[in-house]
Amino acid sequence: MLVWMGLLYACTAPTTRSPEGTVRIRWARDPENLDPLIVSNASAYEVANLTHCSLLMGREEAHDFVPWLAESFPTVKHLGDTLLQVTYRIRPEATWDNGTPVLARDVALTLKIMNCTGLPTEMAQAMFGFIRDIRLDSADARRFTLVCAGQSPEHIRSSGDFSVLPEYILDPQGQLRTVSLADMRRQPTLAAAQALARRYQRLQLARHPENLPGCGPYRLSAWQSGRYLTLRRKKSWWADVYPAPPYQLQAYPATLIYQVIPDAATATLALRRGEIDVYGLMPAAEFTRLQQSADDRQRLAFYTADAYEFLTASFNVRQPVLRDAATRRALGFLFDVPALIKATQQGAATPSAGLISPRMKEYYNDSLALPAFRPAQTVAMLRQAGWQRQPTGRWQRTSVQGTPQILRFGVSYRAGEPSFETAALQFRAAAEAIGIEVELRPTEQAVLSRQLQAGETDMCIRNYSGNPFSYDFTALLHSRGIGASNTTQFSSPLTDHLIEQITTTEDTRKKRLLLRKFQRVMAQEMPFMVLYFLKYRVAASRAIGVVPVSGLKPGYEAARISPIKTPL
Amino acid sequence: MTILLPPVKQRLAAGWLVLVVLAGLFAPSAVSPPDLANINQPPFQGGHWLGTTSQGLDVGVSLWQGARTLLLVSLPAAFFTLLAGAVLGGTAGYWGNTRLRITHFQLALALFALLLTGLLLTYFPRFAFWILAGVPAAAAVAWAFLPGSTRSATRLALPLDSSILGLIALVNSVPLLVLVVAAAAVQRPSLTGVVALLSATCWPTPARLMRAATLQCRTQPYVEAAQAAGIPSLRILWRHIGPNALPVLLVRFPLTVAVLISLETTLSFLGVGLPAEMPSWGRLLAAVRQAPPDWWLILWPGLAITLTVLSLQRISGSENRR
Amino acid sequence: MLGAVALRHILRTIVAAWLILSVLFLLSRSTADPDSQLRNMVESNSRMGGLLEQPATSQQLLHRYGLYEPLFYATWQPATGWHWHGVQTQYHRWLKQLLHGDLGYSYRLEAPVWDVVKQALRYTLPLTLLAAALSIALALGVATATSYRPSARRWFIRVAHILQSFPLFLLALGLLLLLANPDALSWFPAFGLGPADQESTGWSRPGLLLYQLTLPIISLVLGSFPALAIQLDGALRHEFNRPYIATARAKGSSPAGIVWRHALRNAVLPTVTLLTELLPSIVAGSVVVEVVFALPGMGRLLADAALNQDFPVLLGGVGLVAMVRLGAQLLADVLYPILDPRIRPEV
Repeated sequence: MLVWMGLLYACTAPTTRSPEGTVRIRWARDPENLDPLIVSNASAYEVANLTHCSLLMGREEAHDFVPWLAESFPTVKHLGDTLLQVTYRIRPEATWDNGTPVLARDVALTLKIMNCTGLPTEMAQAMFGFIRDIRLDSADARRFTLVCAGQSPEHIRSSGDFSVLPEYILDPQGQLRTVSLADMRRQPTLAAAQALARRYQRLQLARHPENLPGCGPYRLSAWQSGRYLTLRRKKSWWADVYPAPPYQLQAYPATLIYQVIPDAATATLALRRGEIDVYGLMPAAEFTRLQQSADDRQRLAFYTADAYEFLTASFNVRQPVLRDAATRRALGFLFDVPALIKATQQGAATPSAGLISPRMKEYYNDSLALPAFRPAQTVAMLRQAGWQRQPTGRWQRTSVQGTPQILRFGVSYRAGEPSFETAALQFRAAAEAIGIEVELRPTEQAVLSRQLQAGETDMCIRNYSGNPFSYDFTALLHSRGIGASNTTQFSSPLTDHLIEQITTTEDTRKKRLLLRKFQRVMAQEMPFMVLYFLKYRVAASRAIGVVPVSGLKPGYEAARISPIKTPL
Repeated sequence: MTILLPPVKQRLAAGWLVLVVLAGLFAPSAVSPPDLANINQPPFQGGHWLGTTSQGLDVGVSLWQGARTLLLVSLPAAFFTLLAGAVLGGTAGYWGNTRLRITHFQLALALFALLLTGLLLTYFPRFAFWILAGVPAAAAVAWAFLPGSTRSATRLALPLDSSILGLIALVNSVPLLVLVVAAAAVQRPSLTGVVALLSATCWPTPARLMRAATLQCRTQPYVEAAQAAGIPSLRILWRHIGPNALPVLLVRFPLTVAVLISLETTLSFLGVGLPAEMPSWGRLLAAVRQAPPDWWLILWPGLAITLTVLSLQRISGSENRR
Repeated sequence: MLGAVALRHILRTIVAAWLILSVLFLLSRSTADPDSQLRNMVESNSRMGGLLEQPATSQQLLHRYGLYEPLFYATWQPATGWHWHGVQTQYHRWLKQLLHGDLGYSYRLEAPVWDVVKQALRYTLPLTLLAAALSIALALGVATATSYRPSARRWFIRVAHILQSFPLFLLALGLLLLLANPDALSWFPAFGLGPADQESTGWSRPGLLLYQLTLPIISLVLGSFPALAIQLDGALRHEFNRPYIATARAKGSSPAGIVWRHALRNAVLPTVTLLTELLPSIVAGSVVVEVVFALPGMGRLLADAALNQDFPVLLGGVGLVAMVRLGAQLLADVLYPILDPRIRPEV
């Protein structure tokens, strides 16, 4: 009977082609929580950037941030040794949905919310806690100055990287205009701050973000959690006054529909059946398979972009066996990177000598050797590192304390990710062939991150994601990052100093030299080995026009999909 | 209504099972290196007779080694599942809430033994085996010989039925995946861990069936006669109820193996099952997710599983027919 | 007298419910880990380094979620012995909330747990109820129809065993690739409840829903009916060896009449236990089917909650399943004596 019903409806079901100006995009995951203070996953980040505007926006082609809500890149003044003054002016065209202009006091209120006790501000505090104060210009309501602690140039960029929220909804009476940022954090909480927290919570933004429309081009029109989310472009958006809007102010599709489809195979079918238009971050095998089918080539366009995400084998340098750099370097020769790229990425990935993408030509150290598969080299280098092959075939050495050590360790990776597993299996086979004992430990995500933080892993195969704007390796490799993101627990005075210099220098030539040196030191110390940089793949229906792709997640720029037909 | 099978098929079934056992016993323990140059290769080409997976593993070799995994995981787990189900279900069904009565002294003894075991285990985790074996044994000796276990003392009814049903409800109320994630948080996947996990999650169904069957048998006249004659309870369970209730469970043996193979697949698929270097038939099946058009990833392991389950069903079916 | 028995049953069920919920609460909370929660948040951030302030931030998160208090009234440590914490404990607070009917707030979704669960049940219940009804009907139909046709029975038992050994995700994927594939048969939608702009209204709604749920329902039925059918068949066969069947046959009853009027009534008892086991899984949904067909039901909700350590949702969902389970057990206890008068109700 069901099949009969199916046949009946297959004949009567509406066509699946989308109307003009509508783009349907696949999401692997629901945004879950759309509170602008929380933004807890990539889908939520995508929505926040379409419904709200920040002062600055990272632009991949420029390798830098560009002004978005700000009129131009901010002017910066150093204040003493420890403070930084960043001065912005907001675009005069920018308005909220009710027609009132976006002003400096909206930014001030946003910062006050981030500092308001009683709200879920932990993430905002961690990311923007360095903004200590905001000073409004008395003459120009659009001009203001942020006082930032620390003089890193990275702070200039991140000081403009939060969604600006409207004061007219959150504080219609302007009660908080006289309250300073420091006062917001003070205990006991001010009555005005308590009232703000209550107003904010009454909006229930986690489930009803439409209660707080931002000044971005889109408005949320429907959201069925776990199923779909629909964004509609505002009829008149403030940036429409520009005859030729710059990159960051372009928004073409009239409707964006996001469909949540967790399973990759289902999503591929939906794309082929025309039930969705855009499939970002597609698995390599499926992508290649679709490319090889004539029918699909007819209907679908295929895009790739060099990503800043890379696959690494990271070592826990506190582990006695992996403590010396020579052993780590020796183990690096056991990865057959070209074969792995061919097998897991269908050949579409870029091997790299270090943690900077080879496409960043000015900073990439091209004199370093690319990873190579040379088990013989491993054997020679292990001997140099003091290891001796026993008659049993295993490797042993005497540690500094005089106790014998056996070269034996575990390789952890996130369970269920094929590219990690393939790399781990290949490494294990190569290691076993020369007598190194390796145990594979596929681990569930939450457990793995806890083990990494506690330093309980030996070697871990994982992805790191980078970006083209920032070269701040403090959290990743500095001694201060140990206990946070520096899961290799590696640090040395030389690299600590280099990292600090890199983050503080603004001179491109000097930065280039420092970064090249940093990559050389990293290749020598090898706290982690970079296997390859990924490519992001996007398959999209030709009917919706050209999809601009990017090397940053989600891999496409939904707002800039322009309805120009792609040539076949 | 019994079905007489041609002995040829019977022998074929036995032959296949023997083949699987032999393959499992003599499977190579070393994992062959993945052949990354020949991934997704169809069967009968190059050096890989049965094709390769998208990770470059040879399907034939994985099947062979998977037979050993079957011997080490699925069969023991199925056995323990049914054993636990039979013991607990039989206990609950036979004694119910009121029929097993013990004295206060015996209750205190049992609680003391439990507490002692817990304390010793926290302080001397290294002697876990001796503690787990020794304390209950000592308690059993005390139970049997110490005074106070005489008939004169007042007796308490042990709510065995309610406790076991509560335990079943507890195990069944936690969805498998949640349980698996919780277990994975405690320990790394290992062979015994997977067997324990599988048996711990699957025993309630046989237990409930056994309980229902025991309930039915207990009211039969011959059981009531045996009770009236003063035959000890364990003997009644073993001699009279067992032979009548167990067939209900035996029907389930091949089915339990089948369920466990598919569960083990789901575990491997979630990555919390067997260690990654241990190939299993289920994992081969799961590999098809990465390459849906690769029919050989379904065909060979599917064939192996089908043959095994059918053979088991045939063998156990013949035993069942008396 | 009967009232007292029922009251006893109900009281016992309430105690069991409290015990089970407490065990679940303590077990889940003892593995609480705010770091992984934080890690999820940090990973969504595109900046490379992550944050230096992670340890401090996870402390703040601990506070906000109320995880800083001791778990239970008393704790025992090998070094210091027993320690009494009074009522300022997570358990006490949770129990008090629960008695007021408050299941708490989801960490991840910032919404009341009950709302979240209700939302998920809206998708899960139609799916699982239909699937369960179909499975039972199919099992009854096939087992009785084949019970007096030996060769058909043999084939059906074989097929059922094979089906059972294939994991559900393969069945679901196979159906998808067969019946929703432009290369094969493109009869059904590939996912979920259809595209967002296709929200239909009025008379076509139930039909459309049924159409969209066809593939998930078929996969669930294929996954659950073999076990039922095999069990029923085994019990039927067992009954067939009993003397009363021979009597019935001697009286000249038709084979179908023997099955329906005599054997089935006795064979159904062990199967009732299986039926009551189906009930909780109706509420729990199926992770695999919901993931493959992109349905936002209970299975996916609970799996996500487990992976993201969203304990209030996890506990709420699992607790609900446990309650349904206990209810089903109560039902089975009531049904047994009715179906088989030889079993007297226990007092």
